[in-house]
Amino acid sequence: MFYLRLVRGYRVLDLGRWLLTATAAAVVAAFLLRALGRALSDPPGAHATLERLLWCLPPLLAIGWFTAIAARALPTQRPERMAGLTAAGAGPRWIRLLIAGELALACALGAVATLLLFLVLRNNIAGPSLAPELGMGVPLPPAAPVALLALLPLAGGLAAAAAVRPGERLPGGEEPDRARHFGPVRTSAAVLLTIGGILTELYALRPAAAYDPRTLGLPADLGHTNAALLGGWAVATLGLALLTGPLLAGTGWLLALGRPSPQRLLAGRGLTGAARELSAPLAMLAFTVAVVLTSVRHWVAPGAEGTGLLPAAEALLTTGCMVGAVLARLAELRALRRPGSTALLRLGASPRLLFGAAMLRWAAAGSVVLATGALTAVLGAGMLT
Amino acid sequence: MSAAPPDNDVLWARGIVKSHQGTPALRDVSIAVREGEVLAITGARGCGKSTLLGCLSALLPVDSGEVWFNSSPVHTLSRAGREKLRRDRFGFVGSQPHLVPELTARENVALPLLLAGAGHKASYSAADDWLERLDVTDSAKRRPAELVQSQRQRIAVARALAPLPRVVFADDPTAPLHREAQDQVLRILTSAARSHQLTLVLATHDPELAKYADRTVALVDGRTPAPATPVRRAAAVVAGQ
Repeated sequence: MFYLRLVRGYRVLDLGRWLLTATAAAVVAAFLLRALGRALSDPPGAHATLERLLWCLPPLLAIGWFTAIAARALPTQRPERMAGLTAAGAGPRWIRLLIAGELALACALGAVATLLLFLVLRNNIAGPSLAPELGMGVPLPPAAPVALLALLPLAGGLAAAAAVRPGERLPGGEEPDRARHFGPVRTSAAVLLTIGGILTELYALRPAAAYDPRTLGLPADLGHTNAALLGGWAVATLGLALLTGPLLAGTGWLLALGRPSPQRLLAGRGLTGAARELSAPLAMLAFTVAVVLTSVRHWVAPGAEGTGLLPAAEALLTTGCMVGAVLARLAELRALRRPGSTALLRLGASPRLLFGAAMLRWAAAGSVVLATGALTAVLGAGMLT
Repeated sequence: MSAAPPDNDVLWARGIVKSHQGTPALRDVSIAVREGEVLAITGARGCGKSTLLGCLSALLPVDSGEVWFNSSPVHTLSRAGREKLRRDRFGFVGSQPHLVPELTARENVALPLLLAGAGHKASYSAADDWLERLDVTDSAKRRPAELVQSQRQRIAVARALAPLPRVVFADDPTAPLHREAQDQVLRILTSAARSHQLTLVLATHDPELAKYADRTVALVDGRTPAPATPVRRAAAVVAGQ
C-alpha cells in the first residue's frame, strides 16, 4: 500500500524507471521460463539446459546494473521525499530498504506478468511450434518457476540496496568531494592494459598467424577465434573501460585550457568534475554498444548464418538497460548541479550560456565514448573475422 | 507612470507586492536606498527579507509596484535586461556560499568579471586582489569542497565585491558562521562599501548585526510598518564606528 501511495507522486522520470525495470524483468523472465520449458520437454540429461540458463545471466546482470544506478540516483533526485521520510523517522537503513523494495517490486511485477502469460499459453493455446519451448504436455512442478522468477526481484533488490547511499542526502550527511581526480596508478594501469591488449591482438593477427587454427567456439553464432585474440580483446576492453574516466577528466581539462571564455571554463571544469560519476555508466554503455554492433555486423555479413531470436533480444535488452543507466546517472548529476546553476543564474549568467556550456560538455563526453566504443568495436571485429 | 525618484536614491521601490505560488511574501513594501549607504533590513525569519532582496536585485519580477535603479525602471525590464543588470551593476552574497563546486576559489571570484566581459588578466588580478583582502589567498587554487565553511563564505564575499558593483545585496551573509567570523565578514563588507562608495543592502534577522548599518528598516510580515522615507536612523553607529 505504501508503494501505491508513492506512485501517486510519480513524475515522468520515476515512471520511466519503473517501466524500464518491469519490462526488462518481464523479458528476462521469458528467457528463464523458456529455459524451464525446454528442460521439461527435453529428455533428461540433455546438455543444453545449463547453457540456456547461462544465457539468462547477461540480461540479469544488466538489470542489476540499471537498478543499482537508478537506486543511487533516487535520493538525490527526490530530496523532498528523503526529507519527508527522515522527518517521519526513517533512518538510512529503512530508506535503503524502501528504495530496494521499490525496484524489487517492479522486477517482481514484470516477472509475474510473464509467468501468467506462460501459464495461459501452456493451456493448449500455443501452437505446436511453441509447444517444446513451453514444455507443454509435461506437468509443471510449481516450485521451479517460482524459484527461477525469485531471481529477478532478488537481483534487482540486492543491487539497489548495495548501491544506494542514503547517508549523503540526510540532514547532516557528509557530501563527498565528487570532483576528486583520478590517481596516476589507476590511469597508468588503464593505459598499460589498453596498449598491452591491442599489441597482443595485433600480434595474433600478424600475417604469419593466418594459418593459426581458430579453435575457440564463441556463443551466439559468432564463429570461432583463438585464445590470444580473445585474451587481447578482453584486456584491451578492460583497459579502455578503466580509461574512460581519466579520458573524460582530461578532455575537460583540455576544454578549459588557455584563456577560456566563461562557457568553455564551465564546460571543461564541469566535465572534469563529473568524470568520476560518469565514467562507469558511460564505459558500460560504450562496451555494450560496441559488442552489440560488432555482433550485428557479423550476423548480417554476406554469407553469414544470422542468429536466433534469443541473442538479438538479449542485445536489445542489454543496450536498453545501459542507456537507462546512463540516463539515471545524468538525472542524478543534473539534480546535483542545481545549486551551482542557481548560483550562476543569480550572478546574471544567461540560461543560453549555461545551455551552451552543457552542450559543449556533452559533445566532449560523447566524443570520448565514441572513441573508446569505436576502438572496442574495431578490436572485436578483428577478433571475429 | 510616476516620476523618477530623487537623484540621491540609487535604488527605490514603491508599493511592491510579491507572492510565491499564492503565498504572499511582500504585501506592500516601499523602500528607498541612498547612494553609498549601508542599509539594514531586519525582521524575523519568513518576514519577506529574502524576497525583498530578490525583488530589489532584479532576480524576481514583482507582481505589482515599482522598482527603480539609478532613475531607470527595473520592474519593466525583460529577463535578459534583468540578467544584464545583475551582471553589471549588482553583487550578491547569500546565507550559503553557493559557489560553483567544480571551479577553484580563484575562478569562482573571477567568474562574474568574466561573465561581464572583462578581460582574462583583469578578471584574475581583481580576483587575486580580493582573495588577499579577505585573507583566503592560500585557498585560491582549491575547490570549495576542500575548504571549510568560513573560507567558502569569504570567497562568496570576494566574488560579490570583485566586480565593484554599484549595489551589494547581502542576504543574511553571516548565517553559516560563528561569532568572530560573523564580525569579520561584516566588517569587510561594510569597509569595502565605504572605501569604494558601494551601496550595501544587508538583510539580517539578528538586531545585533544591524549595528553595522547607517540606517535600519524593519520588515514585519511582508510590510514596512512606516512610510519608506527615512524611517528611523538607528543609533547611527555604535561608538567606535
